[in-house]
Amino acid sequence: MHALVSLCYTPLAMKAAVLIQRWYRQYVARVEMRRRYTWNIFQSMEYAGEQDQIKLYNFLGYLMDNFTPSSTERNLISHIFRENEVCRDAEWERYFSYENIDVPEIYSGPRLTFPLTVSQVADLVEAFKNKQQLHSRYVLQLLLEAWKLLRILPNVNRVSTCQSKEITICGDLHGQLEDLLFIFYKNGMPSLETPYVFNGDFVDRGKDSIEILLILFAFLLVYPGDVHLNRGNHEDHIINLRYGFTKEVLGKYKLHGKRILKLLQKIFSWIPLATIIDQRVLIVHGGISNTTDLALLMRIDRHRYVSALRPPKKKSPLSGGQSSVDSEFDNDSVSNLSVYNKRRSSVAHGNNLFGPRDSFQRRSLQDFSAVVNRMAAEEEQEVKQRQTGAGLHQTGFMHPHHRDLNSSIASQSDHIDAVDVDDEEWKQILDLLWSDPMSQNGCLSNELRGGGCYWGPDVTEDFLNRHNLQLIIRSHECKQEGYEFCHNRKVLTIFSASNYYEVGSNRGAYIRLGPDLVPYFIQYQASDMTRELSLKQSVGRTERSALKALREQLFVHKTDLISAFQEYDKDNTGLISLNDWATAVGAVLHLDVPWRMLRSQLISLSPDNMLDYQSWFKELAIKEPNVECVEQTILETLYRHRSTLETIFRIVDTDNSGTISFEDFRQTWKLLATYLKMEISDEAISDLLVSIDSNNDGNIDIEEFMEAFRLVDRNRLERGRSVFVPRDKPLDDES
Amino acid sequence: MAPKKKEKEEPKPAAPKPPEPEPPKEPEFDPKEVQIEFTAEQIEDFKDAFQLFDRTPTNEMKITYAQCGDLIRALGQNPTNAEIMHVLGKPKAEDMQSKMLDFDAFLPMHQHICKAKDRGSFEDFVEGLRVFDKEGNGTVMGAELRHVLATLGEKMKEEELEQLMAGQEDANGCINYEAFVKHIMAS
Repeated sequence: MHALVSLCYTPLAMKAAVLIQRWYRQYVARVEMRRRYTWNIFQSMEYAGEQDQIKLYNFLGYLMDNFTPSSTERNLISHIFRENEVCRDAEWERYFSYENIDVPEIYSGPRLTFPLTVSQVADLVEAFKNKQQLHSRYVLQLLLEAWKLLRILPNVNRVSTCQSKEITICGDLHGQLEDLLFIFYKNGMPSLETPYVFNGDFVDRGKDSIEILLILFAFLLVYPGDVHLNRGNHEDHIINLRYGFTKEVLGKYKLHGKRILKLLQKIFSWIPLATIIDQRVLIVHGGISNTTDLALLMRIDRHRYVSALRPPKKKSPLSGGQSSVDSEFDNDSVSNLSVYNKRRSSVAHGNNLFGPRDSFQRRSLQDFSAVVNRMAAEEEQEVKQRQTGAGLHQTGFMHPHHRDLNSSIASQSDHIDAVDVDDEEWKQILDLLWSDPMSQNGCLSNELRGGGCYWGPDVTEDFLNRHNLQLIIRSHECKQEGYEFCHNRKVLTIFSASNYYEVGSNRGAYIRLGPDLVPYFIQYQASDMTRELSLKQSVGRTERSALKALREQLFVHKTDLISAFQEYDKDNTGLISLNDWATAVGAVLHLDVPWRMLRSQLISLSPDNMLDYQSWFKELAIKEPNVECVEQTILETLYRHRSTLETIFRIVDTDNSGTISFEDFRQTWKLLATYLKMEISDEAISDLLVSIDSNNDGNIDIEEFMEAFRLVDRNRLERGRSVFVPRDKPLDDES
Repeated sequence: MAPKKKEKEEPKPAAPKPPEPEPPKEPEFDPKEVQIEFTAEQIEDFKDAFQLFDRTPTNEMKITYAQCGDLIRALGQNPTNAEIMHVLGKPKAEDMQSKMLDFDAFLPMHQHICKAKDRGSFEDFVEGLRVFDKEGNGTVMGAELRHVLATLGEKMKEEELEQLMAGQEDANGCINYEAFVKHIMAS
């Protein structure tokens, strides 16, 4: 390297080196910046999306409040509140019976025999890897066996490291089978030497939730002492309606899907709530609050808490109709603009981001209408009377307090003054499954998610001391690196779903914990694609995805945005300054995103930094030709409440056929419109129907309906292309 | 943000110098001496970016010393590490993660960096790489470039080099440097 040695001392070479290094560091910083705001966008939208859940519950509560039992509208929805028709376990087992399900000769998937053996489970994993589906007969059988086992487990799993060397702890998997397979590949499958704790959220969002569940339950059956499951907030049948698991099961199991889901509804409630290792490390899905009481948690009947809907609270029902979801925020938007300029740090902020809460009639998961369960209790009472007459006794499903509730309800009283033990128990569970840590001291209720708390480092300190613990391991939040410490390294978040937002968005991780109780991390990104992408490409791809989602949000708030812009543009010039644009957009969308920084991606400004907002909207999106007849505000409402709407449709679709009748469709829309205080004429609803009913058979296909109203980017729509844009179109061609 | 136009600099006389560039012999950085020439719009932009880097629990609009360089670079400048240390007042290594600065302290530092001459352009960058183009055919050896960048100037670490070179070398380990520069500058 003679030539190289002499180069080292040329000042020109050195100058060149320094120049390159400087430029490189700038490049890295800019990529990092883009990564950050992209992450910021996804997180903001994810949290905002969870608001939809609250809206859903509010809407359902509204229905319950405002319609008499006989009215048809409520019957559309009420069936989901019926808490597993009261009857004996034996009757349940008959209902879930698999014995009469035949498995055809041509079925080439695994044929399970029980008790399960390790090699059968290995075969099962292999089958899923090869994209085979397990026959519903075996699914039901496996689930039933799992149910039997789960029922005898305590609320809190106790694990010790002394018998085995290290315990592996996995966080959220969310139906991403690739990640689980990768973990097994890298770490080994569960066994006597390789014990595992799976910390909840096995299902929803990803497309292989049922396969993950089956694998986890199968391993639980063959290694009951070495596989431990914690319940996550997504192990909840109503949440599943909204986030995709229900859809997945019904899609994969057309004949027996409903039965499978019903069984899972019960099974989820039997999944333990937490795991403690060596009496020193607590593993729980969400976290804790300042009232978390492990002793109490160990005593409760966890299976009574099937869903995030909880037993009644002792308050008078909310007076009058509830204010529309959207107007909840509008009142405060102008007066609290400064609040929206706060940036989110990596740990969720606990401050009052959305303004004073007492002015809202906001409902959180904990605060559901008393009427809901009153109605449910009324029905239960009917059934109970029937059964008392028939001489059957009830097991498990009727807690003493429910009976008290029934009797007081029978006397038409809305006020229950006695302390309701269920209340406290329910809060305990919600806190465990839904809470997030925050940086500030204290404990605030988690308004963003609608359940659980934000808890601070002081709460952690106190909790650990009180229970003689040293570390809390939790999941529930996606982390860039797959894991993150907080609260002085006393709280550790572990998240195992890589590429959660988009390919390349984040790594997944799992923990190995030995007798020294010092966590070791293994990180990964389970996708063939990420290996081929450079950092810049992977950031670019995620960024495009985030911006696309953001543009969509802008579009669906067009009407509100224009009003907001007009506030700044009193002279009606059609122009608005950059600053005003950023402020207005932040206020209307309630998304804590760096709007100014993103402007080059979202808008084009004139030389004097003004934006022509009307033409901006025209460029932003185009409606599908079919739906041009549909009025703008209806379209916006549809987009904004899309997920709620879809969930409601699925609830209405009682036979899970994937279709609902015109009449039900019409009814649902009218309800939603009334609730949102929105005018929607019969004509408008007919327009909607006409634009979508391609079969002319008087039924609406839910999928088709939701698909037809997907936002389409003007740039991407070509002449003569099919109206329906496929969901997973690759994002490659955008510059 | 586009870098300011560079001024052509005469190549220095070929006197042997040690590998490390000597730090410029400037007096200590005094923020009060800096005249802020940014427009109000620009300052708003900087605030936006500043907030994105702010990791304080209560969003106090503060960043660590260690982040200062990254932020300035993210805003489109490309100072050397030495220049960053200079505007930070030559802090000790342990201060980098613990000491904080707020936006008002940051602004003069950024202004100073922005005013500095000779920021380098596409042509400078290409010229810089041409130095290593022994055959004059528009390519440099990847291995050689790595070696130089790891040993000269403000040395780059293994991971940084990996990141820089990812996917840039052809089958023979050569890099077409004009394409390389375009790739880096196209962020």
